[in-house]
Amino acid sequence: MATLYYLILAPMVYLAVAVSVLGTLWRIARLLRAPAAPPPPPIYPSRKPSWLFALGDALLLPSVFKHNAPLWAALGLFHLGLAALFLGHLELVADFKALQLIPHSIFLGKGLIGLTVLVCLMYFLCRRMVSPTKELSVPEDYLLLVLLLFTVLFGAQMDWARTWFGYSSMGVDEYRGYLSSLIRLKPSVEGVTSAGHSFMLVAHVFFANLLIMAFPFTKLMHAIFTFAMNKFRRG
Amino acid sequence: MEAQLHDSLVTLFESKLSTQMLLNLETCSRCGICTPACHAYASMPLAKYAPAYRAEVVRRIYKRYFTKQGRFMPVLGEAKDITDAALVELKEAAYSCTGCRRCMVYCPFGIDTQQIMSIAKLLLIGAQAEPETLSMLADMSVSKGENIDALKEGFLSGIKRLEDQVVEKWRSQGEHPIPTDVVGADVLYVALAGAHSIIPAAAVFNAAGEKWSLSFFEAVNFGAFVGDPTKTRLILDRIVNEAKRLKVKEVCICECGTAVRVAKQLKDAPFAVVGLTEMHARYLRQGRIKLRKLPGSYTYHDPCQIARNGGVYDEPRYILRHLVEDFREMSPDPKYNWCCGGGGGLVAMGEETLEFRMQSAKVKAEQMRGSKAEVVVTACENCHTQLSDLNRHYALGQRVVFLSSLVADALIP
Amino acid sequence: MSTIAYAKELDLRNLPCPMPVVKISKGIKEVAVGEVVKAITTDPGALTDFPAWAKTSGHQILETETTGTEVNFYIKRLK
Ligand code: HEM
Ligand code: SF4
Ligand code: SF4
Repeated sequence: MATLYYLILAPMVYLAVAVSVLGTLWRIARLLRAPAAPPPPPIYPSRKPSWLFALGDALLLPSVFKHNAPLWAALGLFHLGLAALFLGHLELVADFKALQLIPHSIFLGKGLIGLTVLVCLMYFLCRRMVSPTKELSVPEDYLLLVLLLFTVLFGAQMDWARTWFGYSSMGVDEYRGYLSSLIRLKPSVEGVTSAGHSFMLVAHVFFANLLIMAFPFTKLMHAIFTFAMNKFRRG
Repeated sequence: MEAQLHDSLVTLFESKLSTQMLLNLETCSRCGICTPACHAYASMPLAKYAPAYRAEVVRRIYKRYFTKQGRFMPVLGEAKDITDAALVELKEAAYSCTGCRRCMVYCPFGIDTQQIMSIAKLLLIGAQAEPETLSMLADMSVSKGENIDALKEGFLSGIKRLEDQVVEKWRSQGEHPIPTDVVGADVLYVALAGAHSIIPAAAVFNAAGEKWSLSFFEAVNFGAFVGDPTKTRLILDRIVNEAKRLKVKEVCICECGTAVRVAKQLKDAPFAVVGLTEMHARYLRQGRIKLRKLPGSYTYHDPCQIARNGGVYDEPRYILRHLVEDFREMSPDPKYNWCCGGGGGLVAMGEETLEFRMQSAKVKAEQMRGSKAEVVVTACENCHTQLSDLNRHYALGQRVVFLSSLVADALIP
Repeated sequence: MSTIAYAKELDLRNLPCPMPVVKISKGIKEVAVGEVVKAITTDPGALTDFPAWAKTSGHQILETETTGTEVNFYIKRLK
């Protein structure tokens, strides 16, 4: 068991990050190496400066707001939630003064961010189980959502365990010890494998690893490609 | 399917993979926001008419041959081999899409389903499974370019027969009401085969005192409909060469959406390209023609290739303000105007596609009826044919007319 | 008036683009090889379209006859 915990918490993390970074670079390189064809016209009426409107389209999703407002709200909460989770994780590595400009306890959001993201994920999943989105969906779509769901669920549980139910055997100091050791390339997992709910951390990291590795080989690349696509549409 | 054909289709597919095409193929999150955007889906809510579903028919093949995921874990994305059954699906997807790009307005990423369908069309050509009618028309156009010297005389005699009708609309003529082959003309006008695309335009050119010349060729590009890049180029080159030979400053394309779009995509040509509607708006602005007001109530159907995909929204409305008192917008925001349902070669296939065209454009017919206008004006041959068919099929009791013919009818000295 | 005997007559007057060519290419398949179709047209473009179509599809235009604003083509199905 200890070996398995170690494999997931240390080598697999490195592997996942390497696969993800190299895979993403490879996919971007492939796009750039592809021949340029005469571009089709943009969508009119055009607005200037087109890059600014394209950026607005990519970040604010005005067309989703217009045509499916509930989905827009869920997407907004979900993606903002992801951003907040990212910042939250930074604080599990070390103390960042800039992030504490608005003082808060760690982890960010008192356990509500995970909950929000979970609700959004359930909504995305349900939406894909009914027509007409069902017919468009392929296994990848469900699998990614389930992966995310598991990752967030186990992550949130740890947070809830600590902040709502007072589990104190594994806390911010232990997380910081583990994560900063990973970054220093001297992984040390002792502090986080002996608590009663350590299995949650291992499961959380396991699913996160899968998700990180999946990034370059799935539609998650939309996070990067959207900027180029929207620029093409704006001309 | 034979291995050789299979391999050649994979190579053909690869030839379409430009940077932009890869982005179109790799970005879709299958969110389905585009689903209600398509007139075919809105009229007949079947999954196969959802834009992303059509795209997925092509994308599945893309994944199978060109992505790591499709090669190692095909089930994830339902990656698929090119088979005879796949060709049938490709044909259904591509030839129920009119290329209007309304779905592109809805998509949060701006995925261009029409571009993706161009892969399907090319594969069909490679497998000799494209609609026969369209390739027959494209071949005819190409052959015309190759044999124009032998064909000129017949064309000129046909043009001569129209002159009286031009003069009827606008009397004060020079020597030739329909000039052809004028070296040094300012404008080369490229029409269609039918007299209705020549006579009104000629009258307006003459009224505006334009130094123009009629092209020997038809503007429409059947190569583009069937999705054959080589033939598209050959067909366009006929016009480019004529324009260069006559040293014109501008090439003016008749009321044909495809023709306008294809010609406007020309890069580095020694002449500018304008559509007839833009030309007429310019004449009005410059005071070169004057129009009387026509009675009745009017609405305007924006041809997708001229408006959403060409940016010409203001010009037809400017002309109509001079032409009529009672103008009613068809769609609150013209960017969202429904496609007529006849583009992408569907109208050119005639009776073959009539039933599908009528069913898939039910929302268009409702929009026409909803405008409560007596006259539906448009500026594209395909749209005109399709709207006329809808008018008949749904017994709308409206009149469908070309904008250019209204302008010609309303000319005053 | 032409004296050529024909098996079928097609009225292709005042049709939108590209119906005259589409209809003749369908119509010619409805007569036997060796028989003739008469097509009545009003499009000036038909005078270039029809010969170009006949060439690419392998049929023969026997005669082109002008009457007022109309042009009649007599086309023999060769295959
Ligand atoms: C600027 C960046 C981004 C934009 C514009 C964007 C846009 C979108 C849009 C429009 C959707 C709707 C698709 C749907 O409902 O399926 C979506 C869904 C999603 N996005 Fe993003 N996204 C971005 C970044 C990210 C990032 C960084 C991730 C991180 C992994 C991510 C993960 C997801 C997931 C998992 C879904 C749900 C897919 C589903 O419903 O099946 N996105 N995004
Ligand atoms: S381009 Fe038009 S016809 Fe084609 S899928 Fe999109 S909305 Fe439908
Ligand atoms: S709106 Fe765009 S991303 Fe969503 S399913 Fe349609 S094409 Fe794909």
